[in-house]
Amino acid sequence: MIPLILGSPLTPLENLLRNVLEWFHGTIGLPWAWAIVAVTVCVRLLMVPLAVKQIHSMQAMQAHMPEMKAIQQRYKHDKNKRNEELMRFYKDNNVNPAAPCLPLLVQFPVFIALYLVLRQFSKHPPGGDLSWFGSLVPDITAHANAHWSGYLLLAIYVGSQLASTYFMSATMDKTQRTMMMILPVAFVPVLVNFPVGLVIYWVTTNLWTVGQGLVTRRLVPRKAPPPPKRSSRTPPKEAQAESADGAEPKAVEQPPATPAQPRRVKRKKKQARR
Amino acid sequence: MSIVLRVPAYLGVALVYAYRYTLGVLFPGGCKYHPSCSQYAIDALREHGLVKGVILAGWRLLRCNPWSLGGVDYPHQQRLFK
Repeated sequence: MIPLILGSPLTPLENLLRNVLEWFHGTIGLPWAWAIVAVTVCVRLLMVPLAVKQIHSMQAMQAHMPEMKAIQQRYKHDKNKRNEELMRFYKDNNVNPAAPCLPLLVQFPVFIALYLVLRQFSKHPPGGDLSWFGSLVPDITAHANAHWSGYLLLAIYVGSQLASTYFMSATMDKTQRTMMMILPVAFVPVLVNFPVGLVIYWVTTNLWTVGQGLVTRRLVPRKAPPPPKRSSRTPPKEAQAESADGAEPKAVEQPPATPAQPRRVKRKKKQARR
Repeated sequence: MSIVLRVPAYLGVALVYAYRYTLGVLFPGGCKYHPSCSQYAIDALREHGLVKGVILAGWRLLRCNPWSLGGVDYPHQQRLFK
């Protein structure tokens, strides 16, 4: 159904992906299953710079943790308002730990193209080794329910999906997160009709996400020391606070926020420094 | 707007919901904006109809890139169509 609608505009993409797969299979000499893994790794490698950007943003965010906690506390019963205030806070402070939507969209065409190529392969077998790990997975173009190993792969998929959702949904709220964890399991009856090769793609990309999440954890400490950037900015504010305790100049200096909140924050900072 | 004219926009809204419960689950991610891109698309389709709604949602998706700062952005704040 969906492939029929998307089939024609995606043909060039299907051909491109087929060529890449054929290159990995023919020139490098990988079996088809490993060619799929290689393509997946390439896609994710291309997206690494985006992940690095997000890690930097998360590191920068550590310095704003107290303020964020305060916002979360203040609007803990109003999810909508809480998200709104958090997003406003991120923007005002030039940090946004949330993942952007656009890079996600890049993955869809690759995924659909892979689906189309595998469908083509099952109709006209391309020759060469279509199995994975010897006789464990006999045919990667077959549906996942055709052989017991398909179920094994699906089980691995569910596990990897839960783990990757765990890392990807760090910025979501609890209910949303729980739903995102439950739904992949509900999808299994649909996924059994997908070619095994697609499940291989999924497992690979999920495991990559998990690995990236673990690295991110390492790089983003729970309690980061205040970054040096702040200290360079603090002295004038302090001087200002000492010279005149009038609220007006401060309010002028920080136009977007209400004057009450940043002042409280500043006091906290001073305490931390002493 | 009469109900008949609203039908295409609601088909679009249905598609967004379909995305949310299929691909959206299989490829989990976040959003840099409030409301999220999919919610923005739903609101934009409801408020501005199919054609404008799709353009607004597309523009929003393009803005939700790694270099954007995100923030609060509702469809009624749009400045593409006056």
